[in-house]
Amino acid sequence: MGKMKDDVVLQVDDLSIVYHTIRGDVKATNNVSFELRKGEAMALIGESGSGKTTISLSLIRKLPKNAEVTQGQVLYQRENGEVQDILQLSNRQLREFRWQDCAMVFQGAQNAFNPVLKVSKQFEDTARAHGWSDKKAVRQRSLELLKLVRLDPERVYDAYPHELSGGMKQRTLLALSVLLSPQIVILDEPTTALDILTQRAIIDVLNDMQEKLNFSIIFISHDLSLAAEMADVVATVYAGEIIEIGPVNDMFYESLHPYTFGLLAAVPKLDHEQDVLTSIKGTPPNLINPPSGCKFHPRCRFVLDRCNVDVPALTEDLGSHLAACWNKEAVVEARKEQV
Amino acid sequence: MTRKQKTSDTLANDSLTAIILEIPLNLAKAIWGFLVKISKNRSGFIGFLGLVAYFILTFILPSFIPFDDEANLDEITGPPGSRIQLAVHVDNADVYQSLEDLEGRVVGVVTQTGGPSFIAPYEDTLTVEEFRWSSRRTGPGIQAALTALANQEIDAMLIFSKSVDEVITNQEDPDLKALFDANIVISNPTLGPRHWLGSDTQGRDIGSHIVHGGRILILTAVLGGVISTGIALVFGSLGALLGGTVDNVLTALTNLILAIPRFPLLVVLAGLISFNNTLFLGVLIGVLGWPALMRAIRAQVLSLRERDFVEAAQSLGLGMPHIMFREILPNMISFVIINFIFSITFAMYEQIGLVVLGLAPISDYTWGVMLYFGRTRGTLFNSDGASMALSPVMAIALFQVCLVLFARALEELFDPRLRSGLV
Amino acid sequence: MVSQTSPMLEDAKPESATERIIERAMKIYQNYILRVLLQAVLTVWAVTSFTFILIRLMPGNPIDVLVEQILVQEGISYEEAYARVASSFQFDPDASTLDQYLDWLGDLIRFDLGESITSPGTKVIDEIARFLPWTVFAVGAGLLISFILGIVLGMAMAYYRNSPLDHLLSLFASFITGIPNYIWGLLIVIILGIQFGLFNVGQLRGTYASDVEIGFNYPFISSALAHAALPIITYVISTLGGWMLNMKSSTMSVLNEDYVNVAEARGLRDSRIISAYVGRNAMLPLFTQLTISIGFVLGSGVVIEEIFVYWGLGHYLFASITTRDYTSMQGVFLILTMTVVMANVLADLGYGLLDPRVRVSGEK
Ligand SMILES: Nc1ncnc2c1ncn2[C@@H]1O[C@H](COP(=O)(O)OP(=O)(O)O)[C@@H](O)[C@H]1O
Ligand code: SF4
Ligand SMILES: [Mg+2]
Repeated sequence: MGKMKDDVVLQVDDLSIVYHTIRGDVKATNNVSFELRKGEAMALIGESGSGKTTISLSLIRKLPKNAEVTQGQVLYQRENGEVQDILQLSNRQLREFRWQDCAMVFQGAQNAFNPVLKVSKQFEDTARAHGWSDKKAVRQRSLELLKLVRLDPERVYDAYPHELSGGMKQRTLLALSVLLSPQIVILDEPTTALDILTQRAIIDVLNDMQEKLNFSIIFISHDLSLAAEMADVVATVYAGEIIEIGPVNDMFYESLHPYTFGLLAAVPKLDHEQDVLTSIKGTPPNLINPPSGCKFHPRCRFVLDRCNVDVPALTEDLGSHLAACWNKEAVVEARKEQV
Repeated sequence: MTRKQKTSDTLANDSLTAIILEIPLNLAKAIWGFLVKISKNRSGFIGFLGLVAYFILTFILPSFIPFDDEANLDEITGPPGSRIQLAVHVDNADVYQSLEDLEGRVVGVVTQTGGPSFIAPYEDTLTVEEFRWSSRRTGPGIQAALTALANQEIDAMLIFSKSVDEVITNQEDPDLKALFDANIVISNPTLGPRHWLGSDTQGRDIGSHIVHGGRILILTAVLGGVISTGIALVFGSLGALLGGTVDNVLTALTNLILAIPRFPLLVVLAGLISFNNTLFLGVLIGVLGWPALMRAIRAQVLSLRERDFVEAAQSLGLGMPHIMFREILPNMISFVIINFIFSITFAMYEQIGLVVLGLAPISDYTWGVMLYFGRTRGTLFNSDGASMALSPVMAIALFQVCLVLFARALEELFDPRLRSGLV
Repeated sequence: MVSQTSPMLEDAKPESATERIIERAMKIYQNYILRVLLQAVLTVWAVTSFTFILIRLMPGNPIDVLVEQILVQEGISYEEAYARVASSFQFDPDASTLDQYLDWLGDLIRFDLGESITSPGTKVIDEIARFLPWTVFAVGAGLLISFILGIVLGMAMAYYRNSPLDHLLSLFASFITGIPNYIWGLLIVIILGIQFGLFNVGQLRGTYASDVEIGFNYPFISSALAHAALPIITYVISTLGGWMLNMKSSTMSVLNEDYVNVAEARGLRDSRIISAYVGRNAMLPLFTQLTISIGFVLGSGVVIEEIFVYWGLGHYLFASITTRDYTSMQGVFLILTMTVVMANVLADLGYGLLDPRVRVSGEK
């Protein structure tokens, strides 16, 4: 397998995914590459439909049946340094990889728990599937984790899912996601369906957990303030591509891509909740026949002549982080004017 | 003011004529669209074609094929395909092919059989010798008739293919067998029409009974279906729309009737009052058959009531009838049609079940009655006669299968969410 | 509904809460059983009263018919015949309908179903006790087998949907459900029994061979099974298709549920997901249909048992109808109703065991 830096757990190289549909192929992920470091939290932000979920599902190979990975690799480095391409794992290896190495909290997983089994059974099921069948030990570990997510451990552990409220289920699911001490936890819009207070609580719990358990996080959100609070690294996804990626502060204070800039311009303060992504004019692109050149050009304030012909690459030519745009200077100017 | 009135009048007139003109057009379009759709669903299309075939069989063919009510003793329990044949002496095999050839000759027929009716037009031109079916009675029996033919005492013999088989080929007396084998041949194996499905224990054509035996059965089953679907529709929508006490009472009544073992109840009632009226039975079956469907319709109306367009109509102050007939009914019409078809199958199931037990009217000679007689007269145990029971069994089974395939295809064609009652 | 009545475990009050929850859950669950049983008793009462009234509403007077029949058969005087009929009925035929009803209700509570009219001295309840177990055995075994088979095949159809297997099984299921069960019975007799001679229909009359001793011994058990085999096969064939198609659509909707997706992401083994996550949830709606199916199959047993000459309750019912044995008829019908209701209670309790949500709210 390819070489990986020691401190990287996940490395995505040139990944492309299409959905086959009757109306044509939806190009939902295009040449995406990124690295996730150990203990790091990376946020994927972007409008709904931009391809965030598709990227994250491909990391545990849980894409819908009509999806096809057309190119790329997803390299995973175990704690002992062994490197595997997840896309090449056998079914058995894949089953073991899931949750043991990489857990995922799905988008809108209000019904993540089987309604006819007790929470405890579902924790035990998970443990047993990965060769851990000492129920007492599982129980002890589960109770600790439930306490960590600030629930009454005994009550929740012996309850049926319908006896828990939405926020409690979400926190229980967080506890379950780290039951097997995975290196990576993927959270796909973990707070979208919850009220603001519960969202707050979940974020606090998450920060707390990450500090104590030290796993890597891929955090998907279209809520920028949450992303800012959670993440070390932020990546902007547009039309199935990562168009800008960098450390959280660079991204928020020195963004170089007009799209990221547009997203943030509408946010007066970072901890102010507001669905800002709707504020960019125009509609998200059609992913069956995407625009030529830079896919953002039909909506871009800073569009140049070459933008609808040449595809900009992710480069570091200006500033300290990667962005894919022909006219970064204009963004920098615009920010100066704003201040 | 008046002018305004006028315009709206003409408008109404215009739209009225337009509507009247459009109705057949739209209907034709809808039917065509439906045919195109159903033809894409293979099993549904099979069911649809089957139902069309059944319609032709039971409602059109009876005008062309008379009901065979004439008992023919030498044709009893003939297997499918058997018919009247002309048997002659081997020397005359090429001479006598038809009744015309036999002018002036002596022809033997078996009394009370299909033979005499063939002879009738020729009765003046030939001499008819009558034999009885059984030799145990007075007069010569069929064995004697064949012996006479073998000895050329008569010139020809009209005989049913089944009895030829029995009396000649399966002859147990070796002398007679030798005699028959050496002297008798069938010169015209196709003298009479073929009994496609054989003949019953009285020598009557089963095919004609199948053609005639479906109409009343299907009509009463449809009647039962209409009644139970109607009651279910009225009660279900009343309960769901009015709610409160009405709903509680109707739901309780439904659950109550649902708990009664329906078929045994019919059996007990049949034992008490002896059904002798097919129509009454059809109505009774319909009156007892609505509860399960009422539940489903109630749930449908309840969920439709929650939907935006109905709430909008309510807030506009449109009355209950408007909401029911304009907003809700059109949206669940497919659901109702599908369940109507299923309730036809249930009504038919119960009706025929009672007939099979001998508890329902047997005055109309339906498929069920054919089955009843076929069973009670022991034809099941006779491979030649099995057709008497098997034909109606097949007619009923295939009809029910066609209905079910068709209804399931409709289920898939219309909004599939209706099936799970989600909407 | 569920969220309103279920106890919410919000964060506060940690101590002794577990106990309280267990206690409350136990109470609720016991209530659930109580509620189901109470409903069953009420249903039996209502249904039997309803049929009592219905039978009296029917045109024609069974007593006159019976008196006439006895008159013709035995050539005794009208008064004698009338007295005989009257004494056989549980109620006085001259009393008012209300008195008759109360009388009948009183007997019912004491399980006194009267004596057979055609064979005086025989208690109807004893006759029923003789025939009922066989019906319950045949119907129960048939339904159990078809339910299990249907669930397995239905799940297979859902997992391999749109494959040739699915199309084939769907067509098969529609086909076998379309044909009424007594037609299946006749087809089995005609085709397998007579045309192919696989079994001797005459030898399979009754519920077991006359030369074996009742008890837990091989000849008896194998003979009982051989006699019940044809009715059971008929019940299985005629109900299997319905289970298959319902299980398929139920499984397909469960397969779209989040928890199945999450279970796969948790790396659970397929066998565990299929049984405890997909199968168990997909089965739930079928339990509701089981209650309707039990009544239907038990009821249709009358014809099936008649076709195979299987001596169960249906056969007894039919025999008492042909002899117009009024008390037996009513007794059998009553017991059939009670059996249906009891079976429904069992199905309801089974549903409660499988779905923790109904234990609380009682809603399905
Ligand atoms: N199963 C699918 N079949 C076809 N297209 C899909 C499927 N799932 C998602 N898509 C399309 O792929 C694109 C990306 O979707 P998704 O990854 O869910 O975006 P996000 O998570 O950012 O909202 C969207 O245009 C969406 O319509
Ligand atoms: S490349 Fe051109 S169109 Fe695309 S973001 Fe930059 S300026 Fe806008
Ligand atoms: Mg998403």
